[in-house]
Amino acid sequence: MRPHSNGSERPLLEVQDIYAGYYVGQDVLKGVTLEVYEGEIVCVIGPNGAGKSTVFKAIYGIIPVRKGRVICGGREITNIPPQQALQTAGITIVPQLRSVFPQMTVHENLELGMYLTKDKVRVKERIDYVYDLFPRLAERAKQDAGTMSGGEQRMLEIGRSLMWEPRLVLMDEPSAGLAPIITKQIFEAITRLNREIGLTVLMIEQNARQGLAASHRGYVVEVGRQTYSGKASELLNNDNVRRAFLGAG
Amino acid sequence: MSQLLQVIINGIALGGMYTVLVLGFSIIWGVLGVINFAHGEFVMLGAYTAWLANDQLGLDPFLAAPLVFLFMMMVGFAVQKILVNRVIDRPHLVSLLVMFGVSIILSNGMKLIFSADFRRNDTALDGSWQLMDGVTIPVTKFFVLLAALGIVSALSVFLQRTRMGKSIRAAAQNREAARIVGIDVKKVYAITFALCIGITGAAGALISPILAVQPFQGPPLTLKAFAITAMAGLGSIKGALGGAMILGLIEAGLAIYISGIGTNLAVIASFVILVVALVLRPQGLFGGLRPVDAMAS
Repeated sequence: MRPHSNGSERPLLEVQDIYAGYYVGQDVLKGVTLEVYEGEIVCVIGPNGAGKSTVFKAIYGIIPVRKGRVICGGREITNIPPQQALQTAGITIVPQLRSVFPQMTVHENLELGMYLTKDKVRVKERIDYVYDLFPRLAERAKQDAGTMSGGEQRMLEIGRSLMWEPRLVLMDEPSAGLAPIITKQIFEAITRLNREIGLTVLMIEQNARQGLAASHRGYVVEVGRQTYSGKASELLNNDNVRRAFLGAG
Repeated sequence: MSQLLQVIINGIALGGMYTVLVLGFSIIWGVLGVINFAHGEFVMLGAYTAWLANDQLGLDPFLAAPLVFLFMMMVGFAVQKILVNRVIDRPHLVSLLVMFGVSIILSNGMKLIFSADFRRNDTALDGSWQLMDGVTIPVTKFFVLLAALGIVSALSVFLQRTRMGKSIRAAAQNREAARIVGIDVKKVYAITFALCIGITGAAGALISPILAVQPFQGPPLTLKAFAITAMAGLGSIKGALGGAMILGLIEAGLAIYISGIGTNLAVIASFVILVVALVLRPQGLFGGLRPVDAMAS
């Protein structure tokens, strides 16, 4: 299941024992360690308020990492600003809250995914590439993003995150606020991208069962540190994890 | 018949004036989420700059306007750097009060320097054209209208077509998402604020032959800008134009058709519109960059 499990190769993303929080002296993360290998889908689950989203903010340089290191592709990226996370490490993010530009067309939204480049030919190529992956977006190219359904907006957000040809996409609760059937489609799209273009994904999921089912490996984060980790299939069958997060007696 | 035509001409002319007066206010609110209560004072500063240019250098206000634009852009850049940037992430009320303080400092500061005397700023483009019997076109206002349409078109092209313009719209529509795609939101805010204060100052130069230049001319203009923006939609250029025209036509109609008290009613009109818009259509008639009342989205 896990594409690179020979253990000899270095992970694409290494989060090493990080401490981080929103206020000085109040760390939300108290020693989180996780790894993501190239070509993997890794899912972080855990209760509300455990610090799952905070992990992403720390990786992406939105909040300061007070202790520990973040390494991507062998380069330390601890505390680099978001723009550099994008440019030098090739990490993009799909946040939990709606992140489309509602009064811009689908096409403009995708263009902005490559805001940091001025190479118009390249932008055009990437847009065509994303349209190939999501034909629905091509149909809606001229429509204002805000007038699309929640699922379509999520597709657009994912499509936009692919514009920059990222090495790693962070997805914060891709299923948030979506109907079950749409959630299923989103997870299918993520696994399809992983299969077809080898997309590496680190996601957070409230919907632990479906999130793990779509992933290779998983981590459980509780009160600021990870408590379990392993193959997604193992976590799905772990009694403690099942009791706590999967709603199984 | 000729009276109706005159109302329409006066209304559109007045609307042109309101358009240049409201653009900067509306875009700052729409993009930065800052209610610039010193807006009228930046108009006043622009008007004084134009008056000085005329008084000292003999420059016609219409020729001075581009220079006033550049000068006021620098003023705007400084104000955002020193003040606005520091309160931008705080609740609306904070920036509103900060700008309210700025308005009092500017108006009273200008009174200390220039006294409260009313100044006239003359232009060669004055008088009126006789269109037909009983119908005239006010020349100065006509050229203000032309300038307004020019600024509106330039601004639309800038926001729709250029990379910087797109990043401004993006930051207005979704601040977090703009950061995610790598837009330097602080820089966008700085440029937007400077640009808008530049336009606002130029508006002051353009209306200086129409409204007497004096330190306390600001507050009614701020309130009018507030009313038009809330009615038309924040940060919407076509909203600013449409809202300004509607208000201009209503005021011109009231002033001519209701003799005696019509002029007073015209002053009330904009605030009736404001109140009605806030209650019934908080997203604005024309749909702006964001709703006036964030809860209404």
